[in-house]
Amino acid sequence: MSSSINKEELEHLARLARVELDPGEEEKLLSDLGNILDHFKELQELDTSNVPPMTGGTDLKNVLREDTERENTNRGSGVEAFPESKDGFLKIPPIFEH
Amino acid sequence: MADLTKLTIKKFHDGLRAKEFSAREATQAFFGRIKKEDSEIGAYLSLAETLALEEANAVDGAVAKSKPIGELAGVPLAIKDCILIKNLPATAASKILKDYTASYDASVIKRLRGERAVFLGKTNMDEFAMGSSTENSAFRVTKNPHDHTRVPGGSSGGSAAAVAADFAIAALGSDTGGSIRQPAGLCGVVGLKPTYGAVSRSGLIAMASSLDQIGPLTKTVEDAAILFKAIAGRDPLDATSSDHDYDSITSLPSLEETKKITIGIPEEYFIDGLNEDVAKSVAAAIEKLKKLGFAFKKISLPHTKYALSSYYIVMPAEVSSNVARFDGIRYARMPDIQTHDGKLLDIYLKQRGAGFGAEVKRRIILGTFVLSSGYYDAYYEKAQRVRTFIKKDFDEAFKEVDVILTPVAPNPAFKIGEKTSDPLAMYLEDIFTIPINLAGLPAISIPTKPYPLDGKELPVGFQLIGKKWHEADILNIGRHYENN
Repeated sequence: MSSSINKEELEHLARLARVELDPGEEEKLLSDLGNILDHFKELQELDTSNVPPMTGGTDLKNVLREDTERENTNRGSGVEAFPESKDGFLKIPPIFEH
Repeated sequence: MADLTKLTIKKFHDGLRAKEFSAREATQAFFGRIKKEDSEIGAYLSLAETLALEEANAVDGAVAKSKPIGELAGVPLAIKDCILIKNLPATAASKILKDYTASYDASVIKRLRGERAVFLGKTNMDEFAMGSSTENSAFRVTKNPHDHTRVPGGSSGGSAAAVAADFAIAALGSDTGGSIRQPAGLCGVVGLKPTYGAVSRSGLIAMASSLDQIGPLTKTVEDAAILFKAIAGRDPLDATSSDHDYDSITSLPSLEETKKITIGIPEEYFIDGLNEDVAKSVAAAIEKLKKLGFAFKKISLPHTKYALSSYYIVMPAEVSSNVARFDGIRYARMPDIQTHDGKLLDIYLKQRGAGFGAEVKRRIILGTFVLSSGYYDAYYEKAQRVRTFIKKDFDEAFKEVDVILTPVAPNPAFKIGEKTSDPLAMYLEDIFTIPINLAGLPAISIPTKPYPLDGKELPVGFQLIGKKWHEADILNIGRHYENN
């Protein structure tokens, strides 16, 4: 298990995560992530092959509700809270290339 | 008239009913103190004076007509800025949400509105609740009211400081790895992290959804029970919320009855790195509980040392997913950010690049890494398996004891700026609180007697951890501790 991230990997991750980093931030992050991933190495001491992963905070299973008509009252204020809107529609920058 | 800002919820309620003061007078007294002193402390990010006075007037109207009022009616509260109050700003102390106004009430706010509580304003925090000192706020520094050169803890540092400085009778915070209990400990107030699922998370700006819980910060354990009771319960808007019955949570059984609870002391929490003054203060609290007649037993939670690593994999993974919704398109947009070509991808990169602070970026990148193909099994799934070990440790311990007592944090309040350049050093401040979130248990931070440090009195907290849904055990021990 590699315990460091190189510059190219960091830039790839940042792009996937949609976060722009400046060179100073990259340098600091590379060093911080190296230290943090080093710390994680201790987990390799533990044999976890016989325990299941704990995948959430709750023991509840299959929380269902009746599939009935429900009044949804929040639409108007949701639109108002959106940075840009027009005639009740949400306005966003162009998605497709011209 | 006594200083209204010093009251507990209980005393406020009694005084209001006896017409010793009005809710309006009390609310005004708090705004008076906040305006005079909060420019120095920095507990609040925004105030809601108009809204607060309207609600206080309505409560006074009810009192004048001798209508019955609940225990929280007119009680001035401070609310952490990641909890939504309709028509008020909710920035979570992030630049990317600087211009966001909440379009609905969080479910806990709806509950408190039903009780006619008064909301004074929104409190400072680490950006998106990521931090242990409130220094990661994009907007202001919060100082520890006991020593202005020191941090209040975090991430609910504004809420803890507000209660400690008498800027609110009580407050709400959120706790993902210690963010209620650690600042409560450092500021000398009470902080309760409820069982995962006890309180609805609807309307809480999510950090790590399998760990987050909302809870109270208060001046007394009794007040924590009152506020907890008001916000707990099933909510259709949070599928993980439970309908567990907390109706009798505020009634305190006799000491004789409460003494039947056995308290465990885990050796793994009393380690070499523990600050000497913290160790002494917690030992004194244990002595006091022994004198009250509580039985103690040594226990072991053998996987404790792995909790921090497990947490710092699971939590950033959830963070990277939750924080993806803040894209500069929805919620709010920073108007002065120039893009390269005006296209969507560029807007995302630029808005998020400029809108998030260093710690948030660190966790997004770390979370993206541990979830990425090739690393998922080695990190994320491994951490989830280790999380099972942590939970099983508690399951085993709770076969022998009912409650576990530990320190809240390894150190008292540290200096502002002391740990900002070393993220690992900051993360280590949460080693005693993190395992509880991983296991989904309830825990409370209670101030021990203050002790001298550098010629000043700084608070220290001890933590009581309960079985799932057994908030009553830790609250009742705490109440007998504070009453004696």
